[in-house]
Amino acid sequence: MSPDSDKQHGHAIVNVRPKRSLKHKMIWLADHIRNEWQIYLMLLPTIIWMIVFLYKPMYGLQIAFKDYSIFRGVAASPWVGWEHFQNLFDNDQFIRAFWNTIKISALNLLFGFPAPILLALMFNEVLHATYKRTAQTIVYLPHFISTVIIAGIVTTAFSPTAGVVNTVLGWLGMEPIYFLTKPEWFRPIFVGTGIWQEAGFGSIVFLAAIAGVNPSLYESAVVDGASRWQMMWKITIPSIMTTIIIMFIIRIGNIMEVSFELIILLYQPSTWSTADVVNTFVYRQGLESGQYDLAAAAGLFNAAVAFVLVMSANTLSRRYSRTSLW
Amino acid sequence: MSNVILKNIVKSYGDMEVVHSIDLEIAPQEFVVLVGPSGCGKSTTLRMIAGLEEITSGELSIDDRVVNRVAPKDRDVAMVFQNYALYPHLSVAENIAFGLRIRKESKEHITKSVEEVGAILGLTPYLQRRPADLSGGQRQRVAMGRAIVRRPKVFLFDEPLSNLDAKLRTQMRAEIKRLHKRLGATSVYVTHDQVEAMTLADRIVVMNAGIIEQIGTPMDLFMNPANTFVAGFIGSPPMNQLPGEIHRHSSGMQVMVKEVAFDLPDSIVVEEGREVVVGIRPEHLSLEAREGSFAIPITLDLVETLGSEALLHATVAGEHMIIKAETHGDIDHLQRVTQVYAPARLIKLFDAHSGLAITGSGDEEQSQS
Amino acid sequence: MAINMNLYSRGDKFFAIVTSILIGMFTIATLYPFIYIAAVSFSGGFAAAAGKVVLTPVDSTLAAYKYVLTQPKFWNSYLNTFIYTIGGTIMSLLIIIPGAYALSRPQLVGRRFWNLFVAFTLWFNAGLIPFFINMRDLNLLDSYFGIIIGFAVNAFNLILLRNFFEAIPRSFEEAARMDGANDFQVLWKVYLPLSKPAIATITLFCIVARWNGFFWAMVLLQSEDKIPLQVFLRHTIAFLSDDQEFTATLSTQPYSVESVTGAIIMCSIIPVLIVYPFVQKYFEKGILLGGVKE
Repeated sequence: MSPDSDKQHGHAIVNVRPKRSLKHKMIWLADHIRNEWQIYLMLLPTIIWMIVFLYKPMYGLQIAFKDYSIFRGVAASPWVGWEHFQNLFDNDQFIRAFWNTIKISALNLLFGFPAPILLALMFNEVLHATYKRTAQTIVYLPHFISTVIIAGIVTTAFSPTAGVVNTVLGWLGMEPIYFLTKPEWFRPIFVGTGIWQEAGFGSIVFLAAIAGVNPSLYESAVVDGASRWQMMWKITIPSIMTTIIIMFIIRIGNIMEVSFELIILLYQPSTWSTADVVNTFVYRQGLESGQYDLAAAAGLFNAAVAFVLVMSANTLSRRYSRTSLW
Repeated sequence: MSNVILKNIVKSYGDMEVVHSIDLEIAPQEFVVLVGPSGCGKSTTLRMIAGLEEITSGELSIDDRVVNRVAPKDRDVAMVFQNYALYPHLSVAENIAFGLRIRKESKEHITKSVEEVGAILGLTPYLQRRPADLSGGQRQRVAMGRAIVRRPKVFLFDEPLSNLDAKLRTQMRAEIKRLHKRLGATSVYVTHDQVEAMTLADRIVVMNAGIIEQIGTPMDLFMNPANTFVAGFIGSPPMNQLPGEIHRHSSGMQVMVKEVAFDLPDSIVVEEGREVVVGIRPEHLSLEAREGSFAIPITLDLVETLGSEALLHATVAGEHMIIKAETHGDIDHLQRVTQVYAPARLIKLFDAHSGLAITGSGDEEQSQS
Repeated sequence: MAINMNLYSRGDKFFAIVTSILIGMFTIATLYPFIYIAAVSFSGGFAAAAGKVVLTPVDSTLAAYKYVLTQPKFWNSYLNTFIYTIGGTIMSLLIIIPGAYALSRPQLVGRRFWNLFVAFTLWFNAGLIPFFINMRDLNLLDSYFGIIIGFAVNAFNLILLRNFFEAIPRSFEEAARMDGANDFQVLWKVYLPLSKPAIATITLFCIVARWNGFFWAMVLLQSEDKIPLQVFLRHTIAFLSDDQEFTATLSTQPYSVESVTGAIIMCSIIPVLIVYPFVQKYFEKGILLGGVKE
């Protein structure tokens, strides 16, 4: 124990320090690797996987600008510049596919986006706990069923000879309709199926947001004499508006991502006029017809548009959620 | 047991320097407390000793071995964290044994050590419980148990009591002190609470804005603060500090706070006209005249009753002053106080510009800005 | 939170009843298609083909099931699905868990870069054709390993788990490291036990995605003995009516294209229906974890 008291001041604030030399940095790096190599080892499989399966294909994306043949390979195939893109924009099928993508997404936005919100709001008003629980369990279910099965059920139900829909039409004295071959019926069936499959599960996010609303807001409204209907409009909805807007922005960012698995399973040549979207076009041109380079160009166009949309959506949502938090 | 030596320790984050070249020598078995306001660098310094923060420049030795580049687990130090960091999925016994298991100690050794530590800390009935089932004080003890069981060279405490309520804190303070007496381990303890510092430390290191303001025993700091910062930090309530000027008087030098005169201790040498800050602790003021004390006229604002003591808030020449007085069971007589007395030998003097103490050696200690 | 019915006016009670009815209607609408297809699967061939089935089986028979369950390819594809699901999920966890942990550590040099590297894959995707060509160039077409490895990492799950790890107070890591643990031990002994809900959630997501996976399995696999259940389902549903061998039997068997379709759908759904109620609480929590922080 030190005998005398030390009255000591630290040295005055030193603003001038020797810059860290290269040697200093090398020593630090060596220490760092010696102590922390394990986290780099943990990171390695992820990075390698992404390079091999996600980034390497981006390298292969250059065939969108080349005349690609399997035998020549990517590197040896000659450049053709924007030729494929010019072909695409001259191609009626592609233009149609592009607009179909937009139109179907718009329908999904108009009907498919509000559905989970409405469900969440309604669930919030149901009083009987067991009833609510059971209903929730049931409506979440279709999300977990594979698209193949969903499509199988839909095709059977809408079958012209065997399906229940036409049977019911028959009761009403109407002629059977071969729904899935008729372009005008494709979109309603597609959007409706989408709602059946995803609205329930999609309501979870909104239910979580509603659960986060301060209960004293409702209590003070009760004291003020508001009805549940009024409370829904004046308290619940405004409180979850941030969540709604952010989910909306995300949705806009994903406009180019129409659930094309479901489309492939439900569409037919006769409904291509309304059903064909960019990704199904790519699938047919590329994987079925083997026109890899043209299809890649179409895919690249899709990805580029999607990228711009997603980045804009991200920026918007970040700005919005920050301003609304304080 | 080991010593800890910090030489010219600097810590920067990028371009921002937060610890400015501090020097500190901790003797073996010493209990040193780093105390200071938030952001003063005390936790950073502790974490540098632990190895959780990189030392930007300077040298750190533990047990006379330079450990700047040694990983925490190889420094043979143990730390008690502010939020305890107890593993919620393990029982108390397993929490304590964690470090031993990692080091692959034998089962018998582990069981024996855990039992021992459990006995020392009074945790034996709780060994199989989970942290979630324990009270704050018990969790605190488990955190200490985890540190003790490894028998490290140095114990580090990072504000371990700040999450406890006042009563528990008093209790745990005594326990920590008892433990240190019993185990005799070199300890470095960080807190922002000067009461903890005063009661636990062999020596206190007062830090402020990345520098050390003063190092000394609790009584040193209390009786002879090196500057106004330390004077205002140690002691509850803190030392009264009033601005004034040195005037020559027939009996010697005096400080004039406006028109109020303060006598100075004989040992102080200071020149006329100097701008100073005069300090006197609330406890050192009394309501009766004593030998060697002088009178200070006051205007009483209010009286805070603490039971056997009371705090008198007053103004002297427009400056705020607090006097601690005994109530003797009745505060009415306190309401009528117009004058208090201060013993000249307990008056402290500080330079008004640098804040440094002016002592008998005539000049303040080193350093200038 | 108990609801105090005194606070409910008559109008409120009416509103609650109306909402409950609407929810009830949606629930029934959700349930109906499953009941329908079940009814079709148990119905006699002629009734099913003629559209007579609406809610309950007509001319009940198990013939369709008998047909489905005696198809060796059916069982084979089930087995394949198990292989892909279990293998794929394990592969995913083995890569994602350490990766997410590493990304969550402040001491990782270039952390911002690595996180961007990962997030970028969510924003930009090279597309179907380049991915396909890549798999072909890697010789991963028509192989079990290809399916298992090619879809092992989902950036969304990775980021979800990383965020969860980040939220755990760092003093746990510091305390463990001071006790002598290395990074692997910290992850295995401290962080994983603390992350059970998040791990359960992403495991669930992986299992569901694998079990239902259809498109790439269809595109990448050529051998019939390697296809999973969903692809087998798809082939059956789409091409059953073209299968000469099958249609030849229709006149003598009490099943039809529709009832067999129904039966095979039911056989594929049963495991999901059984497991589903047990996992409900996990995915609800999972959504909360993922949150709306994109």
